Amino acid sequence: MAATGDYALWAWLAPGVSFLLLSLVVPLRRSGRPAAWLSIVLSAGALAGAVLAWRATVPDMARRILWEWIPVEDGVLTSVGVLADADSTLMLILVALVSFLVQVYSLGYLADEPPPSLGRYYAYQSLFAFSMMGLVLAPNFVQLFICWELVGLCSYLLIGYWYQRPEAARAAVKAFWVTKAGDVGFLIGIVMLWSRTGTFDFSELFEMAQGGSDALTGLGLVMAFIYLGAAGKSAQFPFHIWLPDAMEGPTPVSALIHAATMVTAGVYMLFRASFLFEQTPEVLHAVGWIGAFTALFAATMACVQADIKRVLAYSTVSQLGYMMAAIGAGFASAGFLHLLTHGVFKALLFLGAGAIIHAVGSNDIFAMGGLARRMPQTFVVFLIGTLSLTGIPFFAGFFSKEEILGATWAGGLTMPFAMLVLAAFLTAFYMFRVVFIAFFGAPVAAAAGAPAHGAHGAHDAAHAHDAPATMTVVLWVLGLLALAIGIGFARSYPESEFVAPGWITPLAIGVAVGGIALATAVYPLRWISPERLARRLSVLGEAAHERFWLDDFFALVYRIGILGLSRIVGWIDRYIVDGILNVLSAWTLTAGDRLRRIQSGQAQDYIYGVALGVLLLMVWMRWPR
Amino acid sequence: MTLESITFGGLAVVLLASALAVVLTRNLFHSVLYLALSLVATAGLFLSLDAEFLAAIQLLLYAGGVVTIVVFAIVVTERLVGDRITQTSRQLLAGFGIAGALLVAILAVFRRAPLTVRRPPVSGDLTRAIGESLLTTHVLPFELLAVLFLAALVGALYLARPDD
Amino acid sequence: MTLQAYLTLAAMLFCIGFFGVMTRRNTIGILLGIELMLNAVNINLVAFARYHGDVSGMVFTVFTICITVAEVALGLALVILIYRIRRTAVADHLDLLKG
Repeated sequence: MAATGDYALWAWLAPGVSFLLLSLVVPLRRSGRPAAWLSIVLSAGALAGAVLAWRATVPDMARRILWEWIPVEDGVLTSVGVLADADSTLMLILVALVSFLVQVYSLGYLADEPPPSLGRYYAYQSLFAFSMMGLVLAPNFVQLFICWELVGLCSYLLIGYWYQRPEAARAAVKAFWVTKAGDVGFLIGIVMLWSRTGTFDFSELFEMAQGGSDALTGLGLVMAFIYLGAAGKSAQFPFHIWLPDAMEGPTPVSALIHAATMVTAGVYMLFRASFLFEQTPEVLHAVGWIGAFTALFAATMACVQADIKRVLAYSTVSQLGYMMAAIGAGFASAGFLHLLTHGVFKALLFLGAGAIIHAVGSNDIFAMGGLARRMPQTFVVFLIGTLSLTGIPFFAGFFSKEEILGATWAGGLTMPFAMLVLAAFLTAFYMFRVVFIAFFGAPVAAAAGAPAHGAHGAHDAAHAHDAPATMTVVLWVLGLLALAIGIGFARSYPESEFVAPGWITPLAIGVAVGGIALATAVYPLRWISPERLARRLSVLGEAAHERFWLDDFFALVYRIGILGLSRIVGWIDRYIVDGILNVLSAWTLTAGDRLRRIQSGQAQDYIYGVALGVLLLMVWMRWPR
Repeated sequence: MTLESITFGGLAVVLLASALAVVLTRNLFHSVLYLALSLVATAGLFLSLDAEFLAAIQLLLYAGGVVTIVVFAIVVTERLVGDRITQTSRQLLAGFGIAGALLVAILAVFRRAPLTVRRPPVSGDLTRAIGESLLTTHVLPFELLAVLFLAALVGALYLARPDD
Repeated sequence: MTLQAYLTLAAMLFCIGFFGVMTRRNTIGILLGIELMLNAVNINLVAFARYHGDVSGMVFTVFTICITVAEVALGLALVILIYRIRRTAVADHLDLLKG
């Protein structure tokens, strides 16, 4: 048995090595496909390491400190290392698995990219895997924060991968800014926590919490700040605005970062620090409310999107809200469980969508149709993912979603519970809306000059076919995994921490089925016409379409607030600060000019000076007497 | 009113009056003549202080030598024939103020100082004493004086040489 | 006469000389003022010598007189030189030190 945390350490370092090689050895990176293979091989190694690490864990937190980074007088300020316990290694497996699968998938999806760009992509992917694993395995807040920021950087780099497109560049900057706003709060919270407790380390904080330490009282403001970081990264309202725009990046990136791993970092962090949040129930209360609201809010917006990736993006925001609601109810493990299952099936959905986009050449669901017949494999796996998301029994999402509903009810958050139930209904509706529109019905022939996102030439729905092997294999792996998880939970589900009333399960199933029924009624069967439905809910639909004007609001705040403030500050700097200095220098010059006249050149004037000096001396000498 | 005090008073008046005339007269040549008068009055003061030798030196060197030199300088630098030699003074008031202040300061210094009032009796021949002192106690400055004169002579010759 | 009287006289003479130095325009006029000041110094020295019975004051006076003579000679030589170069002996015109 290797030393504690060794496997996790190798798993973490493997993508780091890949990144270093790809970033430093420029010819390797420029070569394209060899770079990709290097990254994929190392990421497979990381996956192996993660699995081994999980199997080797012991019940209590196993720490392995690598390096004492900042030594101070009495001990160490913070260190770099690995904290490999059951939960972190489980998350590590998720990260490693999805990262590996996405990298394989990208070989097919980005096959048309020029080799230098491809190398750049894989370098970023390696860096991301490295940072995310470092975040997951962080033994203290500082390493967590540093990897947090690194992950944010990778998100920026990958969203803006096609940086020549202005929308992509703008989306990357927007993502960076919005998450940065949350990160500022996070950093403030971390430092405040340290000033209270004197440590950043999770194990030490855990011991303090167990021992009922005094330092951990009155932490409300601190934990609220820390939550801000999670709210930004995990796209809680009102910080969710960056996630839909982040879809400008390549679809595998969306699958990896904006479905399975990065956005879940916030949830993971709350889960990790749940023993701290337990000290501040009022903050948890707010977390739960915001989470549930986000879930419902995003679900409404997903119902009116025409871009398949945007539907999935809003769906991700909604599911993140679910996870946060569970944590807010006080049962963080339910949220964590949903994180794991959601990672699998959301990645599956995104990659499936990627296959569709690759084949059809467009993101617009109304440009698709009848794909069930032309892309059967994709259809099957996409359906598996959809059923998981809607929470149908025997599929992955069913159990974790039900756990969350139970947790919310047991935690006493009844209004959020209602919001979650409604969101579940809407989830089923909008997902099946997409399924019906994209996979059934008559295929749509492409208009001339339809945009193709890196597709092999111009395709349209009428000529679509299943994706190449590198992509479909990945899809099948994920699909089967989703099924396996679902069936596995159906046979023996883990103990829940709470007692949920028995009617939750039927309610959950009923709501899901109801949503499917409505979708069926509207789209394929045309019993209710979508236009009339849209007109009935016109106000809401319009608002949802405009994203409830949040983006405009933020832009206005930015323009008035920040730009206005900077203009004021600039004025102060120019006229007051510079003005003072200019006045002082002008006075100095004038004084110098005036004083110059003492040097008249007349010897007798100098004698005056001498005489005056002597007189003053004499007066001064005689004064004390 | 002893003879002594009358003599002193007379000499003082002449001295001060001629000194004022030196600094206030417009005509430079007249200034020089008034200077000569003040130097002679000083010599008289020396006599009243029983310093005959010094009185003699004063008359010889100062009233004789210095005045002659100054007259020569005036002749060289001013046009004697034709224009009147005039000069005006500048900033009289300020000068008066400063000089007055200086006077007050100096007077204030020795007003309170304990000074002897009575003269001690003359002990022997002062001239003899001066001579002896010059050649015994103060022989070094005496010899250096010769060097000084040599330097002055050479210097004056150099400065006044014709332009070649 | 008291020593005080002689010293007062010398002080007044000194200040008159100083006044002359400060106010006279012509360089030679300034030199005359210097002469008066030196004269006052001499009177001081001799008076002190007499009233303290110490002859070295008078010896000192001999020295100052000699040095004064040398200084006047050289000073006037300089004035003549300046007059030759700049055709003026007025002190106001000699303002090369002007800042």
